[in-house]
Amino acid sequence: MEQLIANGIIYGCIIALAAIGLSLAYRILNFANFAHGEFLTLGAYFALFFAASLDLGFLFACILAIAATAAFGVALDRLAWRPMRSSGANRTAIMILSIGVSIAIRNALIIFFRPDALRFPLPVSQGINIGGMTVTSLQVEVVLIAIAAMLLVHALLSRSTLGKSMRALADNPDLARISGINVDRVIRCTWAVSMGLAALAGIMYGLITHLNPNMGWSIILPMFAAAILGGIGNAYGAMAGGIIIGISQEISTAFLPAEYKIAVSFLIMIAVLLFRPRGLMGGG
Amino acid sequence: MLDYLVSIALTAGIYAIFALGLNLQWGYAGLLNFGHVAFMAMGAYVTVLLSMNGIPLLPAVLAGMILAGAAGAFLGMATLRLREDYLAIVTIGFSEILRFILLNWSSLTRGSFGLFGYPRPFQDLVGIRDYNLFLAGLVLAVLLLVYMLLETLARSPWGRVLKSIRDDEAVAISLGKNAFSYKVQALALGSAIAALSGSLLAFYLQYINPNNFQPIETFYAWIMVIMGGSGNNRGTILGALILWGFFSTTRFMEGYLSFSPTASSGARMVLIGLILIGMMMFRPQGLLGRKEELSIGK
Repeated sequence: MEQLIANGIIYGCIIALAAIGLSLAYRILNFANFAHGEFLTLGAYFALFFAASLDLGFLFACILAIAATAAFGVALDRLAWRPMRSSGANRTAIMILSIGVSIAIRNALIIFFRPDALRFPLPVSQGINIGGMTVTSLQVEVVLIAIAAMLLVHALLSRSTLGKSMRALADNPDLARISGINVDRVIRCTWAVSMGLAALAGIMYGLITHLNPNMGWSIILPMFAAAILGGIGNAYGAMAGGIIIGISQEISTAFLPAEYKIAVSFLIMIAVLLFRPRGLMGGG
Repeated sequence: MLDYLVSIALTAGIYAIFALGLNLQWGYAGLLNFGHVAFMAMGAYVTVLLSMNGIPLLPAVLAGMILAGAAGAFLGMATLRLREDYLAIVTIGFSEILRFILLNWSSLTRGSFGLFGYPRPFQDLVGIRDYNLFLAGLVLAVLLLVYMLLETLARSPWGRVLKSIRDDEAVAISLGKNAFSYKVQALALGSAIAALSGSLLAFYLQYINPNNFQPIETFYAWIMVIMGGSGNNRGTILGALILWGFFSTTRFMEGYLSFSPTASSGARMVLIGLILIGMMMFRPQGLLGRKEELSIGK
């Protein structure tokens, strides 16, 4: 059981990072982004590509991959999301568009990298024993980096001017605009943060499992479940939601075949929607 | 030539019925069903499993429709009091969970081996040689029936209330209409129509497998509905023909291009994604749709 909880925390940290980005985009851009899973996949493949083509070490490749994914997000805003916003399309149209983005990216990756499973060029890390649980040093690093990233998001949202502008924009876009906030710039930054976190989550997911073009799409359900459980739009809720979803999914494998663990997130999501649609941490 | 027409009638016809169910939900009621394929899968599996266990085909098909309708109503009841995106998230999740269950409940569904050798309507009477011709006729008859039903409904008071809810829910509610209940009904009926198309697909394929019901199938239906013009039943049927044309043209072109099979199916899917993006950006009302009838983009 301890082992399952440990696995759940590792998996939950990844879901949490992904769900923060999803939740931020939902709160500030006001739509459910179905392409978020592909942003995880994209981040992981960028890291693989940079690690294989540049001789600069894996850590540097990851940093470059996060930057590249964030830049891709800003470019995508320019090409697709911003024209949609300025033409006055409402969020259902933007959601359908995000499905198109998801299909296009996933299959472009299938063309360039083939659908096979790939691994990062890293040595296999050794298992260490902590209080009856076997974890690898890689998994410990994943959890530590995830916690650091969450603290960074907290600092960004609560301390920086950008974070304040983001919250102002989420609460009242018109008021934010007339009080001199550069709305387009804040939205670009939101995409960069959301997609940077997605890339980080994707790299981590690739590290503890493997890479394939479907990897992000396959965990879109736990991501949404985590965001909804935490109160969609609430970054802290998404962190808590991610960890809870991760642990519940892993614990379920003690009673159910492992194939059904994704159904656990679905059931949690339905239960939250039926009984507490605002999620654990309130929100809108 | 006749074989060619029969294959158009079968594939485009079955998908047109499938997409008409979505058009009722999205075009008329403005509901974001992103898991439409789940209801098609329910229709196919319930019909096949019941008929393999000796239940006559007509009740087996009806059972699939009722079960899918109930599932659609349940998902609607869980989410339709909330913002519209929740229905989208929950339905897309449902379609994936259902596929996982079909894949893993091997004692019932034989998992990824799939089911085959099940009864098809009038197969002893018609004989194997002309069976596809007969089935094409059956599909077209069902398509016509579903089309006429939906057209009648659209012009009925029920359909007008549905459209008024889509256009301005607050007004409909202030006139004493129970918007929630109308939406649940539209969701249930559209899901039952998807189940009917699933039964027909099972009769056509003679072999069903959970991987016939991938999430992408849902978005084929979305493309058909949006391309033809949301809220327009004839447009949806046109959309089904166009998408069928797209698939047969790209398959035809594959013969001349030296792509590997994965690359060419990948390229086709990238095109599908770009079509969806392009339609939303440049022509959300589709070919035959009217902009005023659109629940997206004012």
